Order: sequence, then C-alpha cells, then structure tokens
Amino acid sequence: MADKEATVYIVDVGESMADCHNGRVESDLDFSMRYVWDKISTTVAASRKTWTVGVIGMNTDDTNNQQESEGYDGYHNISVLQEIGPMSMTSLMELRSMIKPSSSSGADAISAVVVALTMIDVYTKKLKYSRRIILVTNAESEIDDDEIDEVAGKLNESNVELVIIGVDFDDAKYGFKEEDKSAKKKRNESALEKLVSQCNNAVFGTMAQAVEELSIPRIKHMRPFKAYDGQLTLGDPSKYESALSIHVERYFKTKRAVAPPATTVVIKPDHGGAGPSQSTQTVDDDDDVHMGGTEFSGVKHIRSYKVNDPDAPGGKRDVDFDGLAKGYQYGRTVVPISESDFSVTKLETTKGFTIIGFVPFSSYEPFINMGETGIVVAQRQNEEAELSLSALIHALHEVESYAVARYVQKDGTQPQILLLKPNPGIEDSFECLYDVPLPFAEDVRSYQFPPLDKVLTVTGNVLTEHRLLPSVDLKEAMSDYVDAMDLSGFGVDDYGKPAEYAPIDELYNPVIHRMNQAIRARAVQPDAPVELPAEILLRFSQPPESLLKKAKREIHSLIGTAEVKKVPAKAQGKRGRKDTTKPLSGLDIDSLLGQSRRTKTISPENAIPEFRQILATAEDDATVESAAKQMGEIVRKLITDSFADLKYAQAAENLRVMRNELISLELPAVYEKFVRALKKSILTGELGGDRREMWFRHIVAGKLGLVTAEESEVSTVTVEEAAAFARP
Amino acid sequence: MAWKGDEERRGDADEAEEELDETDYKTQKDAVLFAIDVSGSMLQQPPASGQKQADTDSAVTAALKCAYRIMVQRIIAQPKDMMGILLFGTDKSKFRDEVGSRSSSGYPHCYLLTELDVPAAEDVKRLKAMVEEEDDSDGIFVPSEEPVLMSNVLFCANQVFTTNAANFGSRRLFIITDNDNPHGGNKDLKSSAAVRAKDLYDLGVLIELFPVSHKDKKFDLSKFYDDIIYRDPEADAGTSDEVKTSKSGDGLTLLNSLISNINSKQTPKRSYFSNLPFELAPGLTIGIKGYMPLHRQQPARTCYVWLGGEQAQLAQSEMSKVDSTTRTVEKSEIKKAYKFGGEYIYFKPEEAASLRDMGKKVLRVIGFKPRSMLPMWASVKKSIFIFPSEEHYVGSSRVFSALWQKLLNDEKIGLAWFIARENANPIMVAIIPSKNPDDEKSGTQALPAGLWLYPLPFADDVRSVELDAKVRRADHLTDKMREIVQNLQLPKACYDPLKYPNPSLQWHYKILQAMALEEEVPGSLDDPTIPKYRQIDKRVGGYMAELKEEVAEKARSLMATRALKREAAEADDEDRPVKRAKPAAAKKQSGSGMGNAQLKLATEQDTLKKMTVAELKDVLASRGLSTVGKKAELLEKLEQWLEDNA
Repeated sequence: MADKEATVYIVDVGESMADCHNGRVESDLDFSMRYVWDKISTTVAASRKTWTVGVIGMNTDDTNNQQESEGYDGYHNISVLQEIGPMSMTSLMELRSMIKPSSSSGADAISAVVVALTMIDVYTKKLKYSRRIILVTNAESEIDDDEIDEVAGKLNESNVELVIIGVDFDDAKYGFKEEDKSAKKKRNESALEKLVSQCNNAVFGTMAQAVEELSIPRIKHMRPFKAYDGQLTLGDPSKYESALSIHVERYFKTKRAVAPPATTVVIKPDHGGAGPSQSTQTVDDDDDVHMGGTEFSGVKHIRSYKVNDPDAPGGKRDVDFDGLAKGYQYGRTVVPISESDFSVTKLETTKGFTIIGFVPFSSYEPFINMGETGIVVAQRQNEEAELSLSALIHALHEVESYAVARYVQKDGTQPQILLLKPNPGIEDSFECLYDVPLPFAEDVRSYQFPPLDKVLTVTGNVLTEHRLLPSVDLKEAMSDYVDAMDLSGFGVDDYGKPAEYAPIDELYNPVIHRMNQAIRARAVQPDAPVELPAEILLRFSQPPESLLKKAKREIHSLIGTAEVKKVPAKAQGKRGRKDTTKPLSGLDIDSLLGQSRRTKTISPENAIPEFRQILATAEDDATVESAAKQMGEIVRKLITDSFADLKYAQAAENLRVMRNELISLELPAVYEKFVRALKKSILTGELGGDRREMWFRHIVAGKLGLVTAEESEVSTVTVEEAAAFARP
Repeated sequence: MAWKGDEERRGDADEAEEELDETDYKTQKDAVLFAIDVSGSMLQQPPASGQKQADTDSAVTAALKCAYRIMVQRIIAQPKDMMGILLFGTDKSKFRDEVGSRSSSGYPHCYLLTELDVPAAEDVKRLKAMVEEEDDSDGIFVPSEEPVLMSNVLFCANQVFTTNAANFGSRRLFIITDNDNPHGGNKDLKSSAAVRAKDLYDLGVLIELFPVSHKDKKFDLSKFYDDIIYRDPEADAGTSDEVKTSKSGDGLTLLNSLISNINSKQTPKRSYFSNLPFELAPGLTIGIKGYMPLHRQQPARTCYVWLGGEQAQLAQSEMSKVDSTTRTVEKSEIKKAYKFGGEYIYFKPEEAASLRDMGKKVLRVIGFKPRSMLPMWASVKKSIFIFPSEEHYVGSSRVFSALWQKLLNDEKIGLAWFIARENANPIMVAIIPSKNPDDEKSGTQALPAGLWLYPLPFADDVRSVELDAKVRRADHLTDKMREIVQNLQLPKACYDPLKYPNPSLQWHYKILQAMALEEEVPGSLDDPTIPKYRQIDKRVGGYMAELKEEVAEKARSLMATRALKREAAEADDEDRPVKRAKPAAAKKQSGSGMGNAQLKLATEQDTLKKMTVAELKDVLASRGLSTVGKKAELLEKLEQWLEDNA
C-alpha cells in the first residue's frame, strides 16, 4: 500500500537544449531525458493508478497553460504536454513524440513551477498526496526572480516537494563546476537555488550526478507485512496457570524478491481473427499486444486426460475431465477422495506460537536454516508484553541461548519449527527476536561422505597423510591466503573509514535490476538494442582488484603448494575403467568369463552385461559389429513384442548402452547405421504396429539419435543433421 | 512432493525466475531390491534373555520389519522410486507368474515376495501383516533343504532390474544374510556366482551387503563376498569400503542395528550439480559437487482419478498450448513478453537469453570475513552442501580440506559469487564449514562435514521493518527469565531435527495410508513438536509465576509514567498558540502514533468515525492490518481489532 502521488515534470525543451556541452556527445535534452524517462518509466512499470504524472514543456514553440489563457503575463512558451493522470505505455509513447527541441527560448522557469503547482493544487485538492515538481533545465532562459518568496511560500503551503536538476549546474558537494559558465546561466542558477533554499522540502542538484545515480538499483520498498499477531507462550495457558504468554507481533524481515514475470505469447497468425478472447493466467483480458508493429496473442493451456486402456489403440484413451475425481497417490496406488472428505488429510491446527525449549548458541549452525527470516516484537502499547519479551531477549542473550518454538501462523496452516534469536539491540538499537525456520526430520537426507581430515583404508586403518589430504605446507599456504583476502575492513564507509566490504545492503540482485533496466529502456526506446548490465550489478562477481594485488604473494604460494592439475578432457570419460572392473578381492573375472562364455552370442535376457563383456575383450571391429548387430536385433524384438509401451524402457536402455559403448570405441557409424534403419522400421510400422511413442518419448527425448561430431570426434554428423533426424 | 517437480504445477505457472531446484536436474530414479536370506539360522529366534527390551525378532523378521519401515518411508520421501523384496533359500520358489513348489521355477529357492515397483498399498498391507501378525499363511518362511545357488539369486535380481527398472539411474541390490560362506569350498559354484555378480556390475547394479552376525561370530568377507562386491564407481574419492555388520546387543536390537545400517545407505546420493568449477583464487580452480541434504518435504499434490474402470486409475494429463484461435502452437513459436504499464514489452529470444546471462557457472571466492559478520537475520533459503571431486581437477580434495580446516579453526566464512549452472541466476553465498558429525561439540550430527553454500539475501530481499522497539536494559526481570531459560534446555542441548517429524506430513500420509489400506482412520497423531507442557510446568512453573507477578507490577507503574508523559505532551500542544492549524501535521501525530489507549478512548466516546480515511489507513497499517476498503469497512476493521486486543 503506497501513498498516492502526484508528480509534475517540467522539461526544458528550449533551442539551447539541443546543443551538446562539456564534451558530451548527446544534447542537453537527451542527457536530461535519461533522467526523466527513467523516472517516468519507473512509474509506468509500477502501473499504479494512484501514482499520477503531469508533464509541462518549457520553451515550447506554442503556449498552452491556464495562466496564459487567463491573461497573466510571463507565461509564454510554457505548454502542458500531459495533464496529471495515471501513466500508461500509450501516454509514454505520446509523450515521447512530443519531447523534442524547439526553436524557442525565453520561458521563465519560475512561471513553469507556478503552472505545475496550480495543476497539482487543482488535481489533488486537499487530499492526502505526496506532491512533487521536478524541473530539468539548462537555465539558459531568463528568470524573473521577483516572486521567488511568494512561490516558495505557496509551495510550502501546498506541501510540495521541489526537485531542480540542472544541466551543468555547479555542485560543490558532488564536485562539479562549469568553468566557462555564462553570466546569464550563473544568474539563473542562483535564482533557482534561492527558490530551493526557501522551500521546506526541496532538492537542488546537477544532472551529471542524477544520471550517474540512475544505475544504482532502486529497491522496491515494501510495507512490513504482519504475519502473526497473538501470544508467544511458554507452557500451555489453557491447562497450567503458571504458563507464560506474551502478546507479540511477527513481521517478515527477509522475503525473496523476484524478477518481473514474463508472459507467454505467440505472434498472432492472422490479424482478422475475431475469435473469442483467450489468455494465459497472467494476461488479463487484453490478450492482443502491439509491439514494434507485431501483434501478439496470449497462449492458453489446454489439458487433456488419458487413462490406460488395453483395448484402445496405443493402450490409452482420453477421458472426460468432468468425470474425474480428485485424489492422492500413495505409492502407486491412487486414493480417490470425495469432495466432502477432502480436508481429512490436512492436520487440524490452531494458531499459536509456543516455545519448545532452549539451545545454546554453540549448537546452532546457520546452514540448517530452511528459509526466510521473521522478526518478533511485543505488541504495541502493551506494557506487559514489552517487559516480558524484553526480559526474554536479554536472558537469552546473557546465557547465549536460542529458543526453539512451534509456530502455526493461523488456524489450519502447517506447523513450523522456528529458532528464535535474541537481538538486544546493541548495534542497531532495535530490540527484537529474529526467527528462522528449522528442518523437520523428513527434511534431512542422510548422505554419507568420507571424512575430510583423514583417509580410511579398506583394512580399517586411519591415514593422516595421503594425496587427498593437505600437507602442512598446504594448510599454511591456505591459512595465509584466507587471512590475506580478509574483507572485514576492506570496504570504506561514508566517512572514509575502513568498513566491511560487500555488506548485504550493497548486494543487489543482478537479474532483477538488469531486467527492470532493460524493460524500462525498451519501453522508452523500442528499437534500441539491449544494453550491457550496469557495472554496479557485477561488482561482486570478482574479488576486488586491489585486494588481489595485495595478496599476490599468498596466492602464488597457495597455487604452488596445492599442485592442482586439470584432467585433460579426453581422459575424463574413460578414466579408471580398468581398475574398477575387479571385485574387492581383485579376482580376475575376465578369465572366468572366458571359460564360461566362449561363444560370442548375446542372450536377450542378459543382453547388456554380455554386450559389454564382449566389447571389453573384442580384438577386432568385426566382433564389435557382430555384437552390435545382435544387440540391434534384441532391441527390435523388444519393441515388436512390447505390449503397448511395456518394454520400451528396456529397449531404450539397451540402445543407450549400445550407443555409449560404440562412442567410446570410436565406432559411431555402426550405431548410426542401426538407428537409421530402426527409425525407418518404426515409422513404417514394421515393428508390430504404431511404435511412434518409442521414437518420441524414448529415442528422441532420451537423446538416443545420431551421434554428433560434438559427442565423438570421429563422427561427421552435425548438430543440425541430428536434429533433422529426430523429426519423423 | 519430494524429488521430481510436479508437472501440473510447472506447466501452468509462467515464472520468469525459474526456481533453481533439483527438479531441473537429471531425474535420477532409484530402485532398491532387498534380497533376504531365509535360512535356518536367519529364522531362529534369539534365545530368551529375560531382559526387558530383549530382542525377540529372528534375523528374517528384523529384515522384513526394516524393509517395511523403509517402504513406508520411501512412499513419503521418494514417491517415484521403486522397491522390491526377494527372498532366497526358501523351500518355495516364485518368480512373477511362475510358481513352483520345489525346483520347477527358473530360479529355484528364490521367492520374489514383492515385485520391484513403486510400492502399492497392497504391498504395504501384505508386508505389514507379515511383520505385525507374523502371518505366513503361504508357508514361505521354510528354508530349503538343498542350498540355494547364489548365482541364481544374482541372476534373478539381474532379471528383475533389467525388466522393471531398465533405465533407472540408480539401481541397488541390498543383500541381508548371516552366511559368509554359502558355497563352502565349492570353487565352481563360487565362480559362477562371481560371474553373475560381474553381470550385475556391467548392468549398472550396485550390490550393498548388510551382514548379520549372531553372537560375536565374525562375518568374514574374504570367504565369498569379496568376489561379489565392487567399488561404487561414482563414490567420492576417499570413501571407505567398510561393510558394517548388524547385530543385536549393547542395548541395541538387531532391528535397530539393521535399520541404522540400511538407512545410512537407503537414500541414493543424488547430486544437485557436479563438476562445478570452484575458483578459490585467480589461477586456482578445483572441482566440486553439490548436494541438498536439507530439502523441505511437502505433502503430495492432488491428482485426478478416473473411476470409470474396475480400479481407480490415475488420469495422466497432457498439456498443449493454444493461441486465441485454439490452434496448437509449437514450442518454437512461443515468445516471452513483460507486462509494463498495462501493455507488453517484448524481447527477441536471443535478447531475452542475453538478459539472463550473467556469466558461466562458477563458485568464485571474493574474499573472507569473520563469521561474526554474518548478520543473524540474513537468511533466505536453504543451503547447499559441497564436496570436492577429483574428476576434473586432481588435487581438489586436499585443497578443499585445507580450506575447510582453516575456516573451521579460525571461525571464518568465505564470500562467493555463485552460478549453479549455465543460465541460472547468480546469487551471493557465504561459505560456511560444518563440523565432523562425530565431533561431540557439533550440534548438527545429522549432517556431513564439508562446506556449505549459504545463500545471502540481496538488499532487495530485506524488508525495512520500521517498528518501534526501544532497547531496554537488562534488569531484575531478566534474571528471573534466565532461570527459566537455563532450566528448559532441549535434550543434549541441541535441536536434533531427527527428533521432530513434520506433523502435517505425518498426518497426511497416515490418513492416506489408512485409506489406501482400507484401515480405520486414526483419530490423533503423536506430535513431538508439541512442547511437553507438564514438564515445563514442573520445571519452571514456579519461576514463571514469580516473573508474571513482577511483570504485572512493573507494567502498572510503566503505564502510569507513560500516561503522565502523554498528558504533559498533550498539555504542551494545547499551550502552544494555534497559529495556523495545520491539520496535516497535527493529524499525522494522531494517526500511526495514536496509542491503543487513545483509540480505545475514541471508541468509547464514539469519535473514531471522525477520523479521515487517510488517518484510518495509517492507524491500520501501523498495526499491520489491511488498508483495503471503504471508510465503513476500515472502521469496522479497526473496531474489531480493538475489541480483539482489548
């Protein structure tokens, strides 16, 4: 919920604004409009009806304003380009065509401010608004400073904020001074500065700074959202008189911001189609979008439902959605649940926030947090709650403990376990509890990993020196490196003192701001190419240069002692195959196999192992080709014999093994020959009917098509050819 | 729920920021076949020891109970994964449709009790009856007189995997036996078993052995199983090949011992990413794999069921996209547009791709900070566990270990730029070390030792909470509260997640299980997340009563001082010459700054409705209430709130 806003922009479009100054290659107007467009397009992006915008052109060739038409003097060459109102893309486009340098000059900036003020007064009446006038000018046209006091008084009376941003205005704070400033400009600048100084709420700045600051991401301000308002208890007040309850409020402290969502559209096939309006979920009713001469139309999702039916062709048939019941799956059993019973699997819970117990700080590690942070404070104006919560916060802080609590946001929601951390406000003078969600038993997967500081051998010995473990030298080099790369005092605060580098308030989400930037830019100038991301967004993608320079010696020594070697790409695939094909005992299985499987025939039921074993001992290509041929026959038979899709997965697995093995033997052509024939057989229905599902769902989707040159150096198949082959 | 994302959900939502989750990665499905040895010694009940919690389960019963628990567990945690149970050494033989009393089956003395598949309700029911009622109406648990051929057992397993779980990424055979030498000195039988084991290896099936030992008899792997078991080619460098023997004793039943051993291997280790370059410094890159040992499990989503046939059947949905003329659109035609000021901004596909491109996948260290610099509120999402991989960079493990030790010893954290895969959104992470699980001081013994990528919030994710929460000094109340805190520590002074199952999830599956098995629906749930109220009352009830009394007293005096101050301030206001009655300024004070007491007074005097809409909104907003609606509605909301909070 944001307040209502009324902002009037006064844009100087005088003839002098068309010139370039101070070494810039863009005109003063274009330079200024960077700032103005960015501001206006931000308002458009918010698409809030209550954020209203008006635009006045100053030094326009025409004159169009109320004062002038009422016969006042000194209001010439000032035109209202857009009355105050909500901003849309359409109005943005119209505005864009109107903002161009005129061939006039001589309008009075102060008069323009009066016009703007009147517009605001008329529009906002006495309602609650935040009112603002933003004036951009190069101050090259004469200003009558007689009425500055009166105008300032009126601005203050109407509670209007005045922002004046001038092209090449002097700004000692920012560190800019125009050396060869004309006397006229100097006079005008000081007149404007005087006006600003008399206003209660005003800003006076130079355009260069304003434009520079555009790249600093603006963070969308969100009102705090109260997630919980109720008791925090220790014990059960309904059963035990001793139980403690504190009336608290809980708000979100962190909430993940998301990039603007995209809508799925397609280019409209024909422009005459007056069919019923359909849209995706995110598109409202207006599904036809014009953009750069192309018409788009929304995409709708249509769902169809199928069930297995042995009698139907392909083993499946469509069913009517209306005839379906809802349910859940329990393993592979489906459990239909009638509409009235639907909530039975939902645990009944009542809103509550109750402490389970306390744990010492030392037992907690931040990486067990499951998500976003909340903030817990006492209910306002509730002295008992304030005192009790404060006592809890201080007690937790003193004994270095956290509280673990069960939290149910409102009746019926899933319980959560929250860890409550005391913040006695020593640094930020804000006393509260922070909470983070903890995992439940089901959320923890027990993955086993070998220890990092020792190596266990097969015989159960413990080794502390091993190629997998760091030497004393390496540990030392690492320690020096980590210390050298310390960021705790590497940054600079507002007063030039050392401060933490990259604190959280300087970490901007690169994707969100990049997207917003690009969308705004595209809205103003649809034909301009997408710009590169602002530097500030990628600032923390690399360690700071100067720190690296400082730590050069430590880095060098770490690299030297680490002796990390990159494994050449070719060796990665086949690495270690030879040593792992023996069981733990090291028994020579190959010789056993040699005795029991002298024939080189592959049995369908044990196809994969036998195929691999033949290939592992094959001495010539002929043996391989014969094995591949047998494997191919097995695949074809599996497909042919398959009832519906029952044996497709098995056939696909055989294909996959065959393909991978032939690639590693550098014989992709053997596979290619087979799979080409297979495709033909499938598509002509030779393999026992319609087997297209095998083709699409298993061969194409499973990436079992032609072997491309990227996968095997000896293949001559291009990616395009492989893609073409995948199509029927 | 769980591993694979729900296609239903993914289909409809047009989310620009694709949530980077394991759903986007290879759908590595897992199939586990339990092979349980049914021999005389496996069926033997342990001798009665007279102890209270003595073992009463034979090894076979323990193994089946274990399988049953894991089956129920997997339905919740891994609903797409398969499981099966094969008994061997039984007098009866059964393989799929062929049933033979003696050796008529292709796999004599192998009894496929539960076909390898996603478990169905009947499977659970049958197994449950077997373990709970020891129901053996089919007479399965009779050992055969002649020994079973291990080569047959292994080939039988081979066939089960080949046909049922052909394209599963993870396939494992869990052998539970107490016989370390099934074929004695018979070399031929041993050889043919070794050959069948090699077949399984070539098929891609991993054999995990869970030996059972009776009394203190050692299970000697070298007699037979060393020829059967292979090293897992996917295992991390440095993994030991230790096989843990399950036994009863030391206060642990055989069942518990077995469950703990099997559970540690039960979840297939699925990586979230592999071969990610970890740029520790310019010129020093090592390889890492990423895992998600923590992942919020949610109850399954609903599905649509077709009731037209003999059995309820899942209706599979297919989605197609159509345009305004209901023409099906091809994937290649689809474009992305952005809503902007009521209209749409469109980017060409290559432009859209370039917008998302923030560089290659990488974990790049920016520098290091003391751990204390991580603000306690800086949390947005679960962390990712990383572990070194030697596959692309030899030496990764030792460098990783050195970093881990340094960060652990000096309580430091790394700061890094992290892109999990090509085109993923970059995030900033803190690199935090975890202690060894066997470290007694570790509060996270359920989690492995290594490094964690802890996502830091961006400035955009931080809500500015402008609340009035003045700092107070610690006082006597603090002392009282301290007694309470010190006397209510959780067991072992840490939060052990394994002790707290998710009540919603448990309830959901409990009910579902009862419905699926056509059992009686349970009336209540044992929920360990509910505090032990009686104990709290017993342990700190006295302290709390004292504290409450003191708080009440202090609050009264605080209230009195505040009232005085307020009166003084109001008097001040009145004294001031009303020069220009600027309504805005005066009202502002009475808006969000208006205290509950004032509001209550206003209600009593019925002057609330004199407030303007803007003021009402202020008051409501400052109390975190919705400010949507007309004046009458706003008034109603405020009155309701005042009533609730009286």
